[in-house]
Amino acid sequence: MSDTPTIPRSSGSIPRSSSRSKKPKKSQIPYAFVVLAVITLVGILLALQSSQLGFFWVTGCIFGFILQRSRFCFTAAMRDPYLTGGTSLSRAVLIAFAVATLGFAAIKYAFFLRGLPMPGESFVVPISFATIAGAFMFGIGMVIAGGCASGTFMRIGEGFTMQMLAVVFFIIGSFWGARDMGWWTEKFIVHGPRVFLPDVFGWLGAVVVQLVFIAVLYILATKWENRKNEL
Amino acid sequence: MKLRESTHYKVWFKDPWSYVTGAVLLAVFQTVTLAVTGSPWGVSGALANWGAWVYRAFGGSVDKWYYFSSEGAQALLDRGFLKDPGTMRNLGIIAGALFAILMASQFKIKKIKSWKQVVAAVLGGLLMGYGARIAFGCNIGALFSGIASLSLSGWVFAVFLFLGAIVGSKLLVKFFM
Amino acid sequence: MKEEVLDCNGEACPVPLVKAQNKLKELEVGDVLVVQVDHSCAMKNVPEWARKEGHNVEIEEVDDGEWEIVIQKAK
Repeated sequence: MSDTPTIPRSSGSIPRSSSRSKKPKKSQIPYAFVVLAVITLVGILLALQSSQLGFFWVTGCIFGFILQRSRFCFTAAMRDPYLTGGTSLSRAVLIAFAVATLGFAAIKYAFFLRGLPMPGESFVVPISFATIAGAFMFGIGMVIAGGCASGTFMRIGEGFTMQMLAVVFFIIGSFWGARDMGWWTEKFIVHGPRVFLPDVFGWLGAVVVQLVFIAVLYILATKWENRKNEL
Repeated sequence: MKLRESTHYKVWFKDPWSYVTGAVLLAVFQTVTLAVTGSPWGVSGALANWGAWVYRAFGGSVDKWYYFSSEGAQALLDRGFLKDPGTMRNLGIIAGALFAILMASQFKIKKIKSWKQVVAAVLGGLLMGYGARIAFGCNIGALFSGIASLSLSGWVFAVFLFLGAIVGSKLLVKFFM
Repeated sequence: MKEEVLDCNGEACPVPLVKAQNKLKELEVGDVLVVQVDHSCAMKNVPEWARKEGHNVEIEEVDDGEWEIVIQKAK
């Protein structure tokens, strides 16, 4: 892996003429504990209403924490191979896909074996021109707005006013899309096939095909990064 | 001040984790989410509901819209903002990120710098919102959850997302930098 | 030996990285580029790119959520 787990502190070995006088820094950790107390309180209040609400709140906080701590960014994973030549985030996203594929397949297969309806089947959606157009629009939007949906929420937490504005227009765009959904459904979505890979390759086959495909993409991403390096 | 010098503090709260650490943890909690709630993680779906609540607050009605026509969607809208699990998860992302950045003592309000950023945020937000609705989700719901669910739709989404990101990069360099 | 300062405060990803890449192309070996950022992602991806390219990199946290990334062009 080319990404470094820790960033070494400045050792001051590079000679510089300009230097910003360092202000004595205030610790923000007390505020962090206030936020943690609020998170806990909200979690308790929600859990008293329904355990489902409480669970969603807590996992949301965990996702936000992980995204911020690792600077994870799905936008950069898609954008950087072209724009900056870096693929370390793209490769990390591929690892996330591989790990989640195993977890999901295990859960779904367990339900399948018992003849129960599999969880999350509503995420196997029809493939149509709406998928293509929507993904393309989303790709343009996330790069110019500097973050996708999860990234935008994470950056609001980091204090970006630009992303606060972006989320307002994300809502307007979503609402607009929802208004037109009838048209898209009638014209394209109803004609689109739902393809669940185990139906095509069998359970083991689907997992193997997907993991091999992810591994090929990973190798290509590594080669792409090195090729760019030599230029 | 002892806390800030401890290695444990630095590893857990100060120095950024590697991308791979993030990837594995996200995948683990993505799987936990599927196991517990019966549905994978999604982000953008709740945002259309936020639009509907604002619209309702101003006296509009979405009852006739195809998107909100199902009983489930109507019931969710009737329960309201504070009882929507997806909304709580999105607000949780903000809270979790805020906690993380405060623990690292790196919080700073970043003001909008130029009109270019305003145009980029407006245009980018609209494109993402509309695109996410017609493609059944964003990078989380359609891409991450789609692919993990062994759905071909996730991979089709990925291909055109990538092409869109290339066009977006060209636009960004030309107009928004 | 030249020293250039690039103010990227308030810029969102990937602007700081692209600006740093372009600026560094104009500099000579041995020159120093100081990239000022307040974006927590840029404090990770700018040093990562510069190290990968083989330059000398140092990172200084100058204030809460503000960093200076010092890059000395090595080749």
